[in-house]
Amino acid sequence: MASSAIRTTAAGAAAEVKAPVSAAGLIPGIALLAVVGYAGKFIEHFIAAYGKAHHLVLPNIEYVLWAILIGLAISNTVGVPAIFRSGVATYEFWLKAGIVLLGARFLLGDVRRLGGVSLVLIAIELALALTFMTYLGRGFKLKPKLVTLLAVGSSICGVSAIIAAQGAIDADEEDSSYAIAAILLLGAISLFLFPLIGHALHLSDQAYGLWTGLAVDNTAEATAAGALYSDAAGKVAVLAKTCRNATIGFVVLGYAIYWASKGQAAEVENKGAFLWRKFPKFVLGFLVISLLATVGFFSKTQLAAVGNLSRWAFLLTFAGVGLRTNLRELSKQGARPFLVGAVGEIVIALITLGLVFGADHFYHL
Amino acid sequence: MSQASPLHRISLDTWAVLLALAAALLVRFGVLKTVPW
Repeated sequence: MASSAIRTTAAGAAAEVKAPVSAAGLIPGIALLAVVGYAGKFIEHFIAAYGKAHHLVLPNIEYVLWAILIGLAISNTVGVPAIFRSGVATYEFWLKAGIVLLGARFLLGDVRRLGGVSLVLIAIELALALTFMTYLGRGFKLKPKLVTLLAVGSSICGVSAIIAAQGAIDADEEDSSYAIAAILLLGAISLFLFPLIGHALHLSDQAYGLWTGLAVDNTAEATAAGALYSDAAGKVAVLAKTCRNATIGFVVLGYAIYWASKGQAAEVENKGAFLWRKFPKFVLGFLVISLLATVGFFSKTQLAAVGNLSRWAFLLTFAGVGLRTNLRELSKQGARPFLVGAVGEIVIALITLGLVFGADHFYHL
Repeated sequence: MSQASPLHRISLDTWAVLLALAAALLVRFGVLKTVPW
């Protein structure tokens, strides 16, 4: 019962996008994303203008937070009506388009430097996180494939990694629903906690962005948590998270081979094709746009315009993050998967924070 | 069983990349001159 409810909200995004929906059927939901996102932007400007007009010092709360809060308020009170749901589920599509366009704000040299540092830290994070999550899940006596899904979800990239792994290791749908619900709920919590911790520790934009990209699981939440801190931190968070996403195929392939060796999943016949299928294509798009920006394909004004297109795409994404999060239904999941996920997340956040401090010391981020 | 058309075989991920690249090209070739924020 509970799992079907979770599936409706948690895996809903993926399921609804996969279901055959006409382009016209997406319009109401996309319009809702735009209205909620723009309302966030409007409130940010309104508060700033009000403070200026009345000589008041009001806190500058970014549109990102307003858009997420409005979305959360709708989905957790009146709910998102069925007519909007397939369009709202396109928020992941806008996220990916936004990441590709964000490539215009990076020169390839920056990508190489920051991406190189990120990849080293990601390799360490992956090894530690996968090992820790595996032992933690076993300690809590979770089903082995649920442990794999939680390990993949919390160490690489949340929902996409769980969905990619589910098919590859023949996991139960119920297990993946639990894992997705745990990751989404924890993502929603970290969205608000990370900026607070970052400010308390006086992290620089680069250090905070790197930490967020390494520790927050879902790409949408990592992007939002970065943008909530600052524009620069948001950029770095997306870059680090994109590097992390690029490893998804390798880790899922490793698990697929492991479960196949135990006779509990199908053999992977063509490993190259498997890697290509699981590889997030938006990483390539991001690199292409960054390369074009580096070789001077765009003028300065055009770069600013492409960067703004990316901001609009993210605005739709942030509205979607709030609209698809139904806290009541997510909390209906079993307590143990959530507990394992929560303990894992805390440990991974601490490990990655340590790694970022280390990188800051050696590479002067 | 009906066969998926070539357009349906393109993943959502790839569509997002294509849309983003097309938008960037529209900016580059002056169709989208300014994008306010």
